[in-house]
Amino acid sequence: MKRIITLVVNGEQREVAVEPDLTLLEVLREDLGLTGTKKACNQGECGACTVLLDGKPVSSCLVLAVRAHGKAVVTVEGLAENGRLHPLQEAFVTYGAVQCGFCTPGVLLVAKALLDTNPHPTAQEIEQAIAGNICRCTGYVKIIEAITAVAQNQNI
Amino acid sequence: MRLPKFQYLEPATLAETIPLLMEHQGRSKVIAGGTDLLVALKQRLHTPAYLISLSNLAALKGIREEDGMVTIGPLTTLEGVSAAPLIREKLPGLAQAAWEVGSPLLRPMATIGGNLCLDNRCRFYNQSLFWRSARQPCCKAGGKVCHVTNKENACFSTYSGDVAPVLIALQAEIKLVGSQGERILPLEQFYTGDGRRPNLIGGGEAELLTEIRIPLSSHTGCMYKKYRLRDSIDFPVVGVAVALRLDQPQGICREAKIVITGVGSRPVEATQAGEKLTGREMRPEFILAASETAAAEIHPVRTDQVGPSFKRHLVRVMVAEIIRELGGVDR
Ligand SMILES: Cc1cc2nc3c(=O)[nH]c(=O)nc-3n(C[C@H](O)[C@H](O)[C@H](O)COP(=O)(O)OP(=O)(O)OC[C@H]3O[C@@H](n4cnc5c(N)ncnc54)[C@H](O)[C@@H]3O)c2cc1C
Ligand code: SF4
Ligand code: FES
Ligand code: FES
Repeated sequence: MKRIITLVVNGEQREVAVEPDLTLLEVLREDLGLTGTKKACNQGECGACTVLLDGKPVSSCLVLAVRAHGKAVVTVEGLAENGRLHPLQEAFVTYGAVQCGFCTPGVLLVAKALLDTNPHPTAQEIEQAIAGNICRCTGYVKIIEAITAVAQNQNI
Repeated sequence: MRLPKFQYLEPATLAETIPLLMEHQGRSKVIAGGTDLLVALKQRLHTPAYLISLSNLAALKGIREEDGMVTIGPLTTLEGVSAAPLIREKLPGLAQAAWEVGSPLLRPMATIGGNLCLDNRCRFYNQSLFWRSARQPCCKAGGKVCHVTNKENACFSTYSGDVAPVLIALQAEIKLVGSQGERILPLEQFYTGDGRRPNLIGGGEAELLTEIRIPLSSHTGCMYKKYRLRDSIDFPVVGVAVALRLDQPQGICREAKIVITGVGSRPVEATQAGEKLTGREMRPEFILAASETAAAEIHPVRTDQVGPSFKRHLVRVMVAEIIRELGGVDR
């Protein structure tokens, strides 16, 4: 039986009628058209589906949509403001931290959550924060460089 | 892979939950954080008609200290456990174990109760329906033969939870609540050692885990170490928890509890190794003897990519390392 859930997605209140067996990932991509959030392993192993749920990065393929009722969701589409990329996105471009881009939305959101709570993380804290996000092409060096640059407020 | 169809029930209180468990016994599953269960549902290891969500049971969340005892509600997330100042200060081994579960994207959802109730794992079982359809179902999946051992009617799937070993080493107790009322038992008695039904409520019994209690006076030091293939995300290949009670720092060991995950169908206590240490000073030769004994008294079966002899080696090394660190002994 469908039920109506309310989500605040990227700052905007949305109502969706969902079956209980849908994951938050499926609702974001299929009902709300937010395909920036990627579906890869679909079983909690890779982090491609990361969104921020009430500010915390989680694998949305393992969250039932009904469980997200009343919560705030941030997806990669919510990072740019007024047509300007988020500083993290700018840095990922500048530092070449994107290749195929499949892991990128998830890594960006994890990095945002990290810098929101800890604006000047150590290299180790950055590594630990992105530990659940698997990147198979860029590798982690450039990703860490890009996040570090934003944390150090470097001109990008 | 999509989830199978089910009806989703969200009782508001524990008193409402128990009758639902009884009414739908055998065709329902309880869901806490869902990080283990939803994968199993996608793989069609279970197809329950009902999911009974615990998420509204606020009384089952939170951590408190009372009369020398720390009480943790099973719905407390692993992130919450590992970050709680009380746990970090008084039970650092537990904070460490909770922090080592899965990845940072799972710990804000995964609960400590779900972790203790984690189903046993096996390379022939934790696979998609498509993958599994290449063979006859094994014992755990309702068939006759075990694909690991070729034995009939026996399952050797491995208990791989990270938190139970520490809690057993700390002599924790749990509370189970069902239609018959509540019972309190040592956590180690919760595990059956039967791969098909690894804990007392894993067979769909109408009972819930509602409380975890940890005495603070049972030990003077406790530590957890985990070895896994990818440090960022994987289940343990081997995880070792040790709780020691020393009469004074670097003094004589009055009690030693060594509990290991990843090496059997339940969290395995290396009792002989613990006895070897008891009454001894923290000296390298006694530590070595205890670690050799621990490696000899476990019986791992090849249910993941790592074979038994390497697991024994890991246990030998890790047990010795932890005891040296807890006992303040140089290499
Ligand atoms: C990629 C990945 C990596 C993982 N790595 C690890 C790891 O390294 N170590 C590890 O230990 N685990 C790991 N896990 C498994 C899982 O994430 C954790 O064990 C987690 O703590 C389970 O908690 P949960 O609340 O999500 O449980 P759920 O999935 O909600 O439930 C798990 C089981 O417990 C039962 N249950 C839950 N709460 C109760 C209760 N209060 N009373 C009765 N029954 C209950 C459920 O019915 C279900 O059978 C991993 C999972 C994934 C997907
Ligand atoms: S140990 Fe054997 S019976 Fe148990 S899950 Fe593995 S293959 Fe199946
Ligand atoms: S798609 Fe969710 S973790 Fe891989
Ligand atoms: S950029 Fe391709 S997986 Fe990371």
